[in-house]
Amino acid sequence: MEAYSGSRQHGWRKWLLNRFVLVPAAILAVAGAWDLYASAHDDGLVIGQVLDAQGKPVEGAEVTLWVFSFTTFAENRSVKTGSDGSFRITGNPSHHIQLSAAKPGIGASQRIPIRLYFRSQNTKLAAPLVLPGKA
Amino acid sequence: MRRSPTWPIHLALIAVCFVMLVPFYWVLKTSVSGENIFTFPPSIIPRNPHLFYYVDVWYAIPFARYFLNSVIVSVITIAANVVFNAMAGYALTREFRGKGFILILFLSCMMVPFQATIIPAYLITGQLGLLNSYVGLALPQFSTIICIFVFKASFDAIPGSLIDAAKVDGLPEWRIVWTIMLPLAKSAMATNVILSFIWSWNNFLWPLIMTRTPEMQTLPLGLARFLSYQEDTTGALYAFCIMVLAPGILLFLLAQKEFIQGLTSGATKG
Repeated sequence: MEAYSGSRQHGWRKWLLNRFVLVPAAILAVAGAWDLYASAHDDGLVIGQVLDAQGKPVEGAEVTLWVFSFTTFAENRSVKTGSDGSFRITGNPSHHIQLSAAKPGIGASQRIPIRLYFRSQNTKLAAPLVLPGKA
Repeated sequence: MRRSPTWPIHLALIAVCFVMLVPFYWVLKTSVSGENIFTFPPSIIPRNPHLFYYVDVWYAIPFARYFLNSVIVSVITIAANVVFNAMAGYALTREFRGKGFILILFLSCMMVPFQATIIPAYLITGQLGLLNSYVGLALPQFSTIICIFVFKASFDAIPGSLIDAAKVDGLPEWRIVWTIMLPLAKSAMATNVILSFIWSWNNFLWPLIMTRTPEMQTLPLGLARFLSYQEDTTGALYAFCIMVLAPGILLFLLAQKEFIQGLTSGATKG
């Protein structure tokens, strides 16, 4: 009967070091690393700047966050820009958002669509929001 | 004798492979570009490719939950298929009264479509108290006749002297199957794993009928739910298809050598 028990000395190598274990393990490792990265960067932070038509920072402009809701974008929250035209929105709950800026007398910017790789991903706008008028 | 060059055959095979891979490439391309399928002229290379359609799919429905459900049901199906089909295949390699009748019965049952037996299957599953459960989702696919014959063909190719020797050594029947037949029928096992996985993974009708709550639904039902949610579906729909297809393709690529061996074992004699 012992003859049918098989070789035990290479048992764990045979069961662990094969493509049916290594490939799923590699996929799980990548997924785990992605989860760790996402959990460390999901504060819902959106950072950017608002400029006028001449490229000067606009203070006191209202920046609005629009969040994709089923089929349309719904207004979620607004913040005011600082003296250097920068803004910082916290608590973005979505992965699919739009941003717009407006200030009476200067006008309103176009809505800029922003796609994120996971919900509440921290992001910094690559290009500023531009108002059509002069500050 | 001068051998004829093989490159024309390889060239033709590459051309055929290319034609067969075009639909897969098209699905992949559309999933990263969202390009309308009626766009003319169609672009071969995706314009502005991105992965955001995959993100949309992930959040539009509880994809992770459906994926987990599909994985659990598939694992149960695969395990049951390997165990039950191996036992049935081994039994059919032995000689017993009525074996011919059983074989004909099996072959004739293959002609009955599942849709015809779905009501009895539902009633039996209900009587067992397995509606809306993982075991209930896998139950009708616990054993498939094609896979029984794959095991039988593979076991038939194993010399009977091996089984006789094991019996002389006092091995019970289940250990003969487990320690002698199955290790020698890895290709049949891989074929069982792949076929049962694909059938379970793609199953739509049975989960549609027997699941009662969204938490128990599987990926094919998720796809139907997703289609009812989204209006502009082109990119996201193709991304969903890729996400559903990927595990099956991966499993096939991992076990393709054994799969081909399993399908062809017993096909030739001598």
